[in-house]
Amino acid sequence: MADLFLSQRSLVTKRRVIAPGLVTLRFQNPRIARETLAGQFVNVLPKVGFGDPMLRRPFSVYWSEGDEAEIIVQAHGRGTGILAETREGEELDVLGPLGKPWMYQSADYETAILLIGGVGVASMPMLTRALELEEISFQTFYGARTASLIARDRLSNLHIATDDGSEGFHGSNVMLLRTFLEKDGIEKPKIFACGPTAMMRAAQSLAAEFGIPCELSLETEMACGIGICQGCPVRNEESIFEQSGRRFRLVCTEGPSFNAKEIVL
Amino acid sequence: MKNSSATNGKVAPDLSVKLGTVTFKNPVLVASGTFGYGAEAKQWCDIEQLGGIVTKSVSWKPRMGNPPHRIIETASGMLNSIGLANVGVHTFVKEKLPYLAQFDTKIIANIAASSMEEYRDVLEHIEANAVENLAGYEINISCPNVKDGGLSFGTNVERTEELTTLLRASTDRILMIKLTPNVTSVAPFAQACERAGADAVSLINTLVGMSIDIYTHEPRLNTVTGGLSGPAIKPIALAQVYQARKACGIPVIGMGGIVTAEDAVEFFIAGADMVQVGTANFVYPDAGVRVAEGLADFMRKQKIERVSDLVNSLRVRAELKAAGW
Repeated sequence: MADLFLSQRSLVTKRRVIAPGLVTLRFQNPRIARETLAGQFVNVLPKVGFGDPMLRRPFSVYWSEGDEAEIIVQAHGRGTGILAETREGEELDVLGPLGKPWMYQSADYETAILLIGGVGVASMPMLTRALELEEISFQTFYGARTASLIARDRLSNLHIATDDGSEGFHGSNVMLLRTFLEKDGIEKPKIFACGPTAMMRAAQSLAAEFGIPCELSLETEMACGIGICQGCPVRNEESIFEQSGRRFRLVCTEGPSFNAKEIVL
Repeated sequence: MKNSSATNGKVAPDLSVKLGTVTFKNPVLVASGTFGYGAEAKQWCDIEQLGGIVTKSVSWKPRMGNPPHRIIETASGMLNSIGLANVGVHTFVKEKLPYLAQFDTKIIANIAASSMEEYRDVLEHIEANAVENLAGYEINISCPNVKDGGLSFGTNVERTEELTTLLRASTDRILMIKLTPNVTSVAPFAQACERAGADAVSLINTLVGMSIDIYTHEPRLNTVTGGLSGPAIKPIALAQVYQARKACGIPVIGMGGIVTAEDAVEFFIAGADMVQVGTANFVYPDAGVRVAEGLADFMRKQKIERVSDLVNSLRVRAELKAAGW
């Protein structure tokens, strides 16, 4: 069954610490490295084999090059804590690529706005590369608690906002973006947002206020990542429910990115 | 299991099992709700290596399922509160069942409902649209995550018997009742199913459990409580399979936390005729195939020829047995 996509043990070749508890892990996995499109994710077991923790954790693919791919891990629970401590030479068990890519090839915009909150940066280097390849202009608005938590590699056209004012705009990246939009400084924009729920809601209402297309890449609890467990529903906006008869869609197979107008956070 | 008969001149173990008149190629099924309707997992699992697929619970009308959060990981397991999200029986027979018919493996349709009549109507609608590899039905009277139906049947012996009798009249295919562990003793339920003519009982469904966010004081699942599954529940499942086996004379399908072939073997020894692999599919979509292959290896190494040689082979010392253990 050569066409089967089984999970694969993947050797970790590079671990880089960006900030305490924030690391990137580079691993060998030719299929994931070659096939992943910007915005797709992988489902990673903290430890090879069945154990405790039991479930995989979903991560957007942060970068790919040759036969290797990278994820960015922020330790915030037991599973991600174990993952963040993975050492070079150890193996990860990785399932992927999963989900749908960012819809950056849509015709409804000229300038992409990459709106990043914290570790929501995960899919943005891949999106940056895709936009550069397509020669689509873009601006990046990156919000973080403090300057040391910004993973700025492979991003471009960067506008930084920090909660503590340690770098760039003192406040949220959505507030910063608003100042640009009010000055009419961005040509026919579309927002690509990934970050905490509060930022996503703010992006949703900002996009609605300015009549801008907006896509949100969601992070939810997830078990299987392939549409079986039904554990990662996102609520459809009322008109979508009326059209489709479906109250929910699944983040894993129908997302992770959605048109901001079509979902309720 | 290729070339097994040639390896070292040893005889290949026979993994096939018979339930009623149906022969399954091996005793490993994938559990309802952990394998969708087949299409979702096709890319990730060689479906024809499975003994069979128990499909996601289907009800008369489609069900939306519960709002998030629907799943939470717990120690060696997980809580779920999916709420029987499903496509409804009409879409099931129009799209899902014909799709499943392509696979050389057995299909068992799992049915969930909120009334006796709904259970019967769903079963009869599937029966009227049956495909060749449809082996039978598993009746879910044990879902802890819906307000109507489900557990209200599964925790009442009389209603269990009445429902089983009703459904028995509607099909000659395998009729398997899925029992809940959320009762004082599973034995009278297994006996009620046997009296009413069920071909088998399957157990256990999930255990009612909960998890709390200590900072917000909120339950971590939207429905406050949910169903616990995974390796955490395996010892409970084994004990209940053992009790069901002692209580009734019909086949027992064991499940609860099986992730390896060794886990499955424990269930056979405790009294299960077949097993189902559930939550493990969420980690490895081909977990059922891994268990079936591992079982063949185990049997070969242990020189066990047939699965039935393992079934109900628990050795309890005579004095313990005499004392009622």
